[in-house]
Order: sequence, then C-alpha cells, then structure tokens
Amino acid sequence: MMIPPEPDRDSAPWWEAVRRHELTVQRCGGCGALRFPARAVCNRCRSLEYEWTPVAGTGRVYSWIVNHQVFLRPMKELVPFPVLLVRLDEGEDLLMYGGLAGGDAAGLRDGLPVEAVFEDAPDGAGATIVNWRPRAAAP
Amino acid sequence: MSGLRDRTAIAGVGYTPFSKDSGVSTLTLAARAILAALDDAGLTVDDVDALATHRVGDSTPPWVVAPALGVPEVRWYLDQFGGGSVSHSVVAQAAMAVAAGVAETVVCYRAINARSEFRMGGTGRGPAPLFDVQYQAPYGYFAPPQQFAMSARAHMNAYGTTHEQLGAIAVGQRANAVKNARALKRDPITMDDYLASRWIAEPLRLLDCCLETDGACAVVVTSRERARDLRQPPVLVSGAAWGGGDSFFSGAGSVPSGTDLTVTEAARIAPRLYAMAGVGPGDIDVAELYDCFTYSVVVQLEDYGFCAKGEGGPYAASGALALDGELPVNTHGGFLSEGYVHGINHIAEAVAQLRGTAGDRQVPGAEVALSTAQPGYVLAGTSALILRSDR
Repeated sequence: MMIPPEPDRDSAPWWEAVRRHELTVQRCGGCGALRFPARAVCNRCRSLEYEWTPVAGTGRVYSWIVNHQVFLRPMKELVPFPVLLVRLDEGEDLLMYGGLAGGDAAGLRDGLPVEAVFEDAPDGAGATIVNWRPRAAAP
Repeated sequence: MSGLRDRTAIAGVGYTPFSKDSGVSTLTLAARAILAALDDAGLTVDDVDALATHRVGDSTPPWVVAPALGVPEVRWYLDQFGGGSVSHSVVAQAAMAVAAGVAETVVCYRAINARSEFRMGGTGRGPAPLFDVQYQAPYGYFAPPQQFAMSARAHMNAYGTTHEQLGAIAVGQRANAVKNARALKRDPITMDDYLASRWIAEPLRLLDCCLETDGACAVVVTSRERARDLRQPPVLVSGAAWGGGDSFFSGAGSVPSGTDLTVTEAARIAPRLYAMAGVGPGDIDVAELYDCFTYSVVVQLEDYGFCAKGEGGPYAASGALALDGELPVNTHGGFLSEGYVHGINHIAEAVAQLRGTAGDRQVPGAEVALSTAQPGYVLAGTSALILRSDR
C-alpha cells in the first residue's frame, strides 16, 4: 500500500465497512439510487437521507493500467503493477478502483468478471483495501 | 449568445526560456514573463491594473507579483485554484473583467518550476487534495500519466485506438518543434523511437508524456479598442467557455464524462464555445489542443467536433494534424516537445499564428484558432478559447 486511505467525514462508514471486509454503497433515502463514492446528497433527487447498503462485490473490468514509473519510493519494490477500474454489477455508474488479486495483468480485458478481495495491511496500521480477482463469468 | 465575442484582445505575449532547472523563483519567472509581455504590447507596468493566474500550491499569487512589480493600483485579480483544466479560464475571466469595465489591462501569467521544484504527482508534492484521491492512492494511483492511461485504455477498448495512432501525434508534434527555437526537444523522432520508449503507465509510454518544465508565460488582455492602439496586431478573444461537472467515477449519471472515460467535458463546452464565436469546427485554421499526453489530443479531436467519436486515432494518424494538413494541431510542438507551462503556452502560440509571426512553422493565412485546456480529468472541468485575427 503506497498511501494509506484517508477517509473524510462522509466516507468513514465505507472505510469502516471495508475494514470489516464488507463492500457497501450509499442508497438514497429519497429515490433509492445507489451511489459511490460517499457524498452527503443525492445528485438526482437532492435528498440528504441515505443508508449504507451491502453490494455483492462483483463487477466487470472497465479499464486498467499497468504502472511502471516509480512515482513514490515505496512503489519501487512493486512495479510493474496493474490498477483496475471496475463497474459494479449493481449499476453502470458505480465504479471502484483497486489492484489485481491473483491472475496476470496480461489476462486483463474489457468486461472481465471480477470479485472484490479484501487485503489487510500487514503492518497493523488498521487499514484495509479492496482488490479484484478474476472470476468465472455469471451464467 | 455572442457574449464576449470580439470585445477584448490579447495585445502582448511574453515568455521566459523553458528549462529543466530555472534556478530562480516562480516570482522571478512571473516577473520576467510579464515584463516581456508588456514590452511586446508596448505597455509598461504602470499601465497594468489587474493580474490573473492559476496554481495548485506551486506558484506565486497575483497579490505577491503585483507589489513586486510595482503595479500602481490593482483593480481586479484572479488567483484561481486548479491545474491545466482551468488554464484557459484565466484568460476568459480576464476578458470578462475587461468587458465588464472592472479592469482595463490584465496580465495573465503562469509561472512554474515543474521540474526542479513541484513535480506533478511525484517528488516534491503529494497528491492533490481531492476527495476522490482516497479511493485511488492506496493502490498507487494518483499521477496524471496513470489517469490518462486509464482513459486511453478505455478508448482503445471501445474504439480500437492503437499505439501507432498515439505515436503519430508524438512524432508529428516533434516535427513541428524542430521549427521552434523555444522548444525543449528539437531532435526529430520516428515511430520506431516512439515504440521503443519505455512504459510509464501502460498504455502510455515516455514519449506520450509532456515535458516537466521550468518556465513562465504571460499574455496581456485589454479591450479591442485599446489593443488597436498598441504595438501588435490585436488577436481577438472571439469565444470562451469553461465549466464542468462532477468527478468522473462517482455515480454522476447526468455528466457526460460521469461513467464514460472516452468522453470529456470538452464535449459539453464545445457547443457554447463555438456559438459564442459564431464559428464551427470547419472554421478553425489552427488548433492548439491540450497535450499533457498524446491521448488527450485524440479525445479532443472528437469532443471539439473535428471527427466522429471513436475516429480521433485514425484522424490523428492520417496526416491531417501536420502544419500543411487539414487541421494543423500543436504547431509549436505542444507540451510534448515545446514545454509545458500548464496551458498558457498554447494560447501564446495561437497568438503567434494569428499574428502571422510563427516563422518556419507558420500556417499560411491562419485567421481563427482554437486553444484548449486539459479536457476534464481530475477536476472534471475544462476551458477553451477561440481567438481570431482582427482583420
């Protein structure tokens, strides 16, 4: 982990859920739309009411990179590494980033089915991140 | 909706040399570029009544530059937060201030030591303080080449855009820089050179990336009438547009770029930009398109209406962007080869082309130019100008 997560006041519940190995998004209390990342207001109906709701943790790869450049010193031991952008199965506009858990970056392709894998920082820092593992396609 | 059309003009342009290590402060760079721009216009500091810039915590603000230069009275200033995406809005807002009668002579500048002091997304500076970053940085994802690589991959997935099409932009712009004495990179490159350059963030290579540069550039904005009395032929601010939407991965379904990385905010502002100037893409003689990376040229060719969505790669590789092509693009070599002052050197080059003073790289008879800002990643906004010669 190059940079530890820095939750803000809106996103703290999301990061706490990730710490428990649960993947969640917000559900608007007004129109029911799901949204991510965390924000206090719905940009469709402008309701301030929401709840955190679990999602399946499955999605499809929308885009990815393979990073080679060492932008920060801690990256030096990790390059080259992929970063994925994943569309969650619950909605076209629910996108999450993450690393690749298992598999080879050469096997990444548009629409590849993936599932969330939670990775606890080994240093006891109390941080957990979400990576993505290729899975068999849904029937 | 003619708005600001042809009411104001760019009357002067000034540069410092571009380098990898200026050895001086951003205040010194700003002062040198501003004095050069005023001299170009036939004005002095005593004529200045407003200053405008943008920065991301990496440069000297107007309220430091003004007293350092001895500006007699500052009637308006702009200290815009933001990077390349707001670069053209600085000049647009200066034009607005002049048109509103708030100020008469505005110097717009950008002064950075982007190689020796504050490197984007790298040594010397942490990630930008944006709320999105917390969801990206833990995966080692925060630097501009990575962000544009992600978009480039999505464009390749959707439309079959190729490495060679990106390479054609790098090679073609270098050929323009050969004709530009100010350019940092003036040795010609080939497609083989491009394809052999090392990966930065796949699918982008080193030669897809602009040059981290120390330097400054300034332009003087005043009324059309006043510009006509000055030293240089006026270049009119004919159209201006800026704005944006939500951050692009955050479930913002109403925003074109909300969940589709292959569309930028340029697609949103282009119609009102052209409408203000009363022209269309077919009227543009020269386009200086923000080229922080080769890919940003591809997507802007589409989003500013020069070709259909998905056709930016083939269009770029067709030869159309050359100095003698259908749409000369980044005639100075762009940020890829001239240097990267975060946007304003595109405006300065457009002015040279419209004055007809671009020397070996002059596009004959250029009368209307488009100059654009970073098309809307990171801050999910953009800005652009249409400039035209006053003849």
